[in-house]
Amino acid sequence: MRQVLYDITHTTAYDYAGGVSVSHHILRLTPRQTARQSPFTAEVLVDPPPAVVTSHSDYFGNITHFIAVERSHQRLAVTSRSRVGVRPAFIPEEEETPTWENVRAQCREDRSGQALEAHEFIYASPRVPVSDVLAEYAAPSFLRDRPILGAVVDLTRRIHADFKFDASATTVTTPVEDVFEQRRGVCQDFAQLEIACLRSLGLPARYVSGYLESDPPPGESKLFGADASHAWVAFYCPGIGWIDVDPTNNCIPSLRHITIGWGRDYGDVAPVRGVILGGSGQQLRIAVDVIAVDAGPEPQSGNGSQRE
Amino acid sequence: MSDATADLSREANPGLFEHYSTAPGVFDEMRASPTVTRDHWRRLTRSLEALGPLEIGARWDSGRRILREHGVTYNVYGDPEGMERPWGLDLAPLIIPSSEWTRMEAGLIQRSRLFNLILSDLYGGGQQLLRDGFLPPELVYANPGFLRPCRGIATVNNVYVHLHACDLARAADGVWWVLADRTQAPSGVGYALENRTVISRILPDAIREDHVRRLASFFRAQREMLIGLAPRGRGRPSVALLTPGPHNETYFEHAYLARHLGFPLVEGADLTVRDRKVFLKTLEGLQPIDVLLRRVDDSYCDPLELRGESFLGVAGLVEATRAGNVTVANALGAGLMESPALMAFLPALCRHLLDEDLLMPSVATWWCGQSDELRYVLEHLDTLIIKPAVGVSSRQPWFGGRLSREDRDDLVALIRARPRDFVGQERVALSQAPVWRENRFEARSVVLRSYVAFGGDSFSVLPGGLTRASRDTEDPVVSMQSGGGSKDTWVLADAPEEKPEPQRDWIDSASSDRLLLGVPSRAADNLFWLGRYTERLEQTLRTLRCVLGRLSDEGAREGTGELVALSELLDRLDWASASAAKEYDDMRLQHRVLKLVYRSDIPGSVRELLGRVRFIASTVRDRFSGDTWRILGRLDADARTRPGRLPLASALAMIHNLILDLSAFNGMEMENMTRGHGWRFLDAGRRLERALSILSLLRACGQVGSRRADVLEPVLEIADSLMTYRLRHFAAPRLPGVMELLLSDGSNPRSLAFQLNTLLTHAREFPQDARLPGATAAVARILELQQALERVNVPAAAGRCADGECEALEASLQEISRELFGLGDEVNNYYFSHTVPQVS
Repeated sequence: MRQVLYDITHTTAYDYAGGVSVSHHILRLTPRQTARQSPFTAEVLVDPPPAVVTSHSDYFGNITHFIAVERSHQRLAVTSRSRVGVRPAFIPEEEETPTWENVRAQCREDRSGQALEAHEFIYASPRVPVSDVLAEYAAPSFLRDRPILGAVVDLTRRIHADFKFDASATTVTTPVEDVFEQRRGVCQDFAQLEIACLRSLGLPARYVSGYLESDPPPGESKLFGADASHAWVAFYCPGIGWIDVDPTNNCIPSLRHITIGWGRDYGDVAPVRGVILGGSGQQLRIAVDVIAVDAGPEPQSGNGSQRE
Repeated sequence: MSDATADLSREANPGLFEHYSTAPGVFDEMRASPTVTRDHWRRLTRSLEALGPLEIGARWDSGRRILREHGVTYNVYGDPEGMERPWGLDLAPLIIPSSEWTRMEAGLIQRSRLFNLILSDLYGGGQQLLRDGFLPPELVYANPGFLRPCRGIATVNNVYVHLHACDLARAADGVWWVLADRTQAPSGVGYALENRTVISRILPDAIREDHVRRLASFFRAQREMLIGLAPRGRGRPSVALLTPGPHNETYFEHAYLARHLGFPLVEGADLTVRDRKVFLKTLEGLQPIDVLLRRVDDSYCDPLELRGESFLGVAGLVEATRAGNVTVANALGAGLMESPALMAFLPALCRHLLDEDLLMPSVATWWCGQSDELRYVLEHLDTLIIKPAVGVSSRQPWFGGRLSREDRDDLVALIRARPRDFVGQERVALSQAPVWRENRFEARSVVLRSYVAFGGDSFSVLPGGLTRASRDTEDPVVSMQSGGGSKDTWVLADAPEEKPEPQRDWIDSASSDRLLLGVPSRAADNLFWLGRYTERLEQTLRTLRCVLGRLSDEGAREGTGELVALSELLDRLDWASASAAKEYDDMRLQHRVLKLVYRSDIPGSVRELLGRVRFIASTVRDRFSGDTWRILGRLDADARTRPGRLPLASALAMIHNLILDLSAFNGMEMENMTRGHGWRFLDAGRRLERALSILSLLRACGQVGSRRADVLEPVLEIADSLMTYRLRHFAAPRLPGVMELLLSDGSNPRSLAFQLNTLLTHAREFPQDARLPGATAAVARILELQQALERVNVPAAAGRCADGECEALEASLQEISRELFGLGDEVNNYYFSHTVPQVS
């Protein structure tokens, strides 16, 4: 099967006004193993050198690092480097997928394996509300007995058409309701909005955090969100599993999307979350590079090695 | 015992229970029928009747006095006057006979076992209970109490709920039902202990004759249990009680328990996580903490992985538990089990997990997330209580039968829109018991909160509990927040307990553990400021007394010159500067001074300073003995005097009392506090403040021009040095002598020189930290201050000032003041600076 190899460098740098005596951070910057991607190498570099670096797999199975810098510092830079092989997504024929009403009913009844896992993603979560207004907005895409894939792809297209990409319109904490009101936002907003629409209809949907290829192949245009970490949506389709959709770029993520991890909303998979002691202000700089190296060999099975 | 004897006994005081009659259809705790007292109540009712209403009233007054002196309070949210509301305790206990308690105990232990098994499946295991249909997934997945970061974190002995409280109510048929479970950070066990302490003082014979089971063993067991939770068998584990701080409704209890159990009371800002371990920031450096008994809700415990907006917790705590370096009790995530909707599933869960029937039933609960249950709830709304299905909301539940038509329709719409979010619960007609009202007993509804402690080996159940009574007969809600009272709870033993234990036994080695841990920097900070504020208060009181004494003196007309001079002195002290400059007038001065006595909204007034003293003392409550608390309580009580018709006389009497109270406080602290860093900073605060107030007093005195001769005696009086001056000089005071006595005389404990000497001794003992210039810098600055004082050459400078040339003296004193303020800042920066965490 075709595979694209990417080298990813993601740097997050804080400049603090005034010294910070202790800082603790939780990082979700390392791509996980999924059905369509295999990490080969991954490392996280922290400057100044932290007193503690540990990693664990979080509630959703995402690779999570805990770092602590315990001496006074005025700057903190976290760089995550990884090489990941990505294969094309499996996209079923629309008619092969169950109707959306069917999906909703099955998710209520079935408590085994994957279906129970999907259950996590049906309810409102801290950053994703459910409401009649959002269900109404989604309704025109969810015609009676429509196969779920067709319905979700249509909703994705409509969000892409109705909403304008505008990095100045929102912040990481802008509520979905405001995004819906002002019809503007960035990938995180569109993803959470679409998730909210799906959950308002009783359908399981999760928030996917990841990257986009920075430089498009010849003849293709650059995607929105390529210079930072990206976010999109996955919905659950019984019998098939989770299918990704990207409302920011109106597409089904495949060879140009690299997954870091997922959760109920941004809060579960924020790339960097920290608490600092001291410091009177901070400046943040983020740089992301996602470079295709070449078509690699068939992937090895299992996880790639990880270094810290 | 026959009915005849019961009736006979009542003849002693037939009126006592005349008004005791329970509502129809409820269980009467005290009587089996209107004429028959239940066996286990007979001893108590007889001894109460023997005492009679007057004696009961007198004892009850003394009980209330004890509560006040112990400073037992309860904070009520959203009530400006309710902060620190006195604890409401009723004279009559709730009594539970031995045989009945044995059954209740078994039910409570079973419930605690069950809860731990459920949590270990949901957090530690494969959530098999969801797969197998014993619990609907949404009750977990859509539950804000389910803390995902805590999944998979191992707990010591697989225990999650180390203290489990159940609110119990007895239905009409005599069966006890569980109304609610408290697994987050159950409150009340300290109040239960305090209730017993008070009741055992006012009804000592009754407690002994009834063989009331003692509470001490439970607290010993709880303490041992907590120490045993330390990870990997630490040699001398250290335990701390984590409190949200003095604004929490049950802060009194946190301090009380910390003191009783011998664990330091800490706030989130006192802790730090280093190398995945939890440490207490103390003056001596970082001290490891192995076990945290938390009174902070779990989601607020770590801003890094839980609620980001919380400042009550400590960043990295979840990671420290993940590493197995600290045990948090109750485990983070245990609050999940408080969800009322879970009650509906407990009987089946109990059979499944324990292969037993649930011994103590929960109040009938219908979760509206199921269609049959939803229909039932809507059809029976009038007889049900409606609550949120998950989480514990501070909002009052809806009483279906008490809603207006409109509210009822709104509620139905709300339930229909989000059925999963609601449960309906049966309204238990609460049993009733006697409460003391003025001079007789009346019947009120009661709810009993019981407590089970478990560390993995054996369960211990508090033989008693916190009983709460409704405020009035009609009130359906029984809670401390809504103003109900509490009761002691007597569990009777069949025979006297084998080894009578002291009622308030202090657990061995409690104090040594505390010494081991050192003084948290925040506590030292607060002690330092407590020293400063009590001294400032005393100085204020002395000044006011000096003025008021002269104002109220009948023969004061001829002393008017002194009053005018005093008024000018007050202006110079920058006090009550309001009506300065105007012509002197007795009434105006009186008005100014009385405002400073009675008004609490004027900065620097007696009441404002008392408020500060009270608040700051409450933050270090765990560091004071019971006696010291009694004194602080008296300070508060004495300050409540109202102006009345003789405002001057009442103010004077009040000030006399307050000065005595403060002296008692200072005496307790001098005589009883260990000479550790805590005491050192408290006293340093006082010395610094006293030095500053001497300086401002003398500078004001220097600035009072033509009437200076008239202020010298008041100045000596304010500085509490009049006697000394008279003994030395046998003459009317003169400026050089006054200055010398108050500035450079090192033998006068009220002089500046004395304060500097004491400060120097303290600073030399301040904690040394190689990384900080703290102690050395403070010592150096005090030495400089001493030299500066010597350079002043007080007699000469004061002599010149007496001749009208005060500038040089004023300049020197001003310089010394400035240096002293600098010293205060330095101490603050080196020892207490706590930076506030920021979340990104």
